Amino acid sequence: MFARLTSGTVVGIEARLIEVQCDVAGGLPTFQIVGLPEKEVSESRERIRSAIRNSGFSFPAGRITANLAPADVRKGGVGFDLPIALGILIGSEQLPAASATHLYVGELALNGDVRSVAGILPLSLAAADRTLDAVVVPAGNVAEASLDERVTAYPVASLAEAAGFLRGDDGFAPHRSDAARLLERERGAIRHDLGDIRGQTEAKRALEVAAAGAHNLLLVGPPGAGKSLLARCLPELLPPLSFAEALEVTRIYSIAGLIESGRSLVTERPFRAPHQTISYAGMVGGGHGIPGPGEISLAHHGVLFLDELPEFDRRVLETLRQPLEDRSILLSRSGVSVRYPAAFALVAAMNPCPCGFLGDPIQPCSCSIRDVHRYRRRLSGPLLDRIDLFVEVPRLPVEDLFANRKETASFDVRARVEVARRVQWERMSEADGRFSNAELDADGVRSFCRLDEEATTLLRRAVARFGLSARGHVRVLRVARTIADLTQADRIEAAHVAEALRYRAQLHAVSG
Amino acid sequence: MSLSGVDAEKRACAFLKERGFQIVARNWRSRFGEIDIVAREGEVLVFVEVKARETDGFGGPESAVDAAKQRRIVSTAAQFMQEQACDLAARFDVVAFSGGVPRLHRDAFRAG
Repeated sequence: MFARLTSGTVVGIEARLIEVQCDVAGGLPTFQIVGLPEKEVSESRERIRSAIRNSGFSFPAGRITANLAPADVRKGGVGFDLPIALGILIGSEQLPAASATHLYVGELALNGDVRSVAGILPLSLAAADRTLDAVVVPAGNVAEASLDERVTAYPVASLAEAAGFLRGDDGFAPHRSDAARLLERERGAIRHDLGDIRGQTEAKRALEVAAAGAHNLLLVGPPGAGKSLLARCLPELLPPLSFAEALEVTRIYSIAGLIESGRSLVTERPFRAPHQTISYAGMVGGGHGIPGPGEISLAHHGVLFLDELPEFDRRVLETLRQPLEDRSILLSRSGVSVRYPAAFALVAAMNPCPCGFLGDPIQPCSCSIRDVHRYRRRLSGPLLDRIDLFVEVPRLPVEDLFANRKETASFDVRARVEVARRVQWERMSEADGRFSNAELDADGVRSFCRLDEEATTLLRRAVARFGLSARGHVRVLRVARTIADLTQADRIEAAHVAEALRYRAQLHAVSG
Repeated sequence: MSLSGVDAEKRACAFLKERGFQIVARNWRSRFGEIDIVAREGEVLVFVEVKARETDGFGGPESAVDAAKQRRIVSTAAQFMQEQACDLAARFDVVAFSGGVPRLHRDAFRAG
């Protein structure tokens, strides 16, 4: 007998609904899965057979064929276990037919338990877009599945339970999403407070400017000065995630299988700190079959922190250029092409030299001039071009370390950042979807970065004296615009330009 | 105690009948090999391999009937279905004797 159910598979950031057709017919006992399954789908046969037998059903004799339609979509993941098992039970008349407006997804364990799968959020959103009535998902995924209020999600913990749902047994209630309340409760929590870091006033100010204008940042300083701690604070200096942004981030984490069981929404801005040995595929995305998201997409709406920048593979760093411009990445493989969002703030950190102590007042540097030059040459020029703020993070002087001074708290910095962001938003909302000063193009700089007289004189002197290039000049203007926005100044003043020039001055320290 | 092959097959038939199987054929041969018992259980055609020899506890019936033997049985079964123009669902069972006691292993192996 023939049975059909609705399921789905994730292709990149989107999900496609898939019809699972099962035919149980006469003939020698065989079990085939057709319709462009990836290896993990074909392997599901053994799981399905054991799960059916261990759930009080019999695995039917004869020829069993499961077809996943449409046949031209590559199907990965293990979520087809449950619908195929149910299809076999329907096809062998052990269960009544299933409604086509219910989506079934889940991995089966040999004992019939339903295990959580990756990519539930995109699947449930696709179900809602196609106005299906309900999704039947692993119990561990139900919170994530019901994030969108249009989705009715039923949790099942075992094949036997899913069969009960299909038979129309009593006692099944849809899961109620608490995502909006969860976000309200958790958003804006500060776990890494600038106020807990002593000294480093200049670096903290640079973080504030970076957060306010979405500028990329490079911290240079000896080991142990606090570069990583400072970077870790940046996500919480940014305005808290909106629900739509949180949903976007959650979608990526769902596909990557990084949502913990029972958790639903990602409520914090991501902070990703990949190791220096990371591969190309790990950074931008890839893997076998349908390419998965990389670190730059996992850092979407958050911060990508590259510690020990010169130690990264140069080719890996070069691949960051294009996503830094486009704020997304296109991954093309044979047969599939997927685009993942990648709008992240870049924070890089490095030592001034290989030993780390060049310029340190106490510890002497043990590097030769050649070592230092070689170290700096490893930096990718085009990547440095996309960094607006260069900041020195020196060793903390003893008096700062023991000072009992009250440090600026992240909460206050974020309040200023939010104001500056709003100013930018209002100024730019008419201009083509750009919302931050860092994104201003030449036209934008011309129309929005107006200097007062004193500021103009200062900038002109700096251009002449330091040999500032045209590009460097534009960068100084953008940063100055952000600094002015932090004080809600309409015109850029000399003090703003002076501060912006300071963030540029450190550039010579890294571009050896 | 070890049974002779013929004795074992006789006892297996009686054992299957007790369990409601109808015997369709015995020792059905093709050029690929032989099937000990062909039976029907309800709407399912069952090809039964009888293992008389003790398998001294190692492995289940799937390992008692090795891969080459399984292939021969499957090919023979395919020919049986074709000759009889049978469109029933089919299954491969093994009746194995352990200490002289028969045990039925349903769906012991599959055609592919």
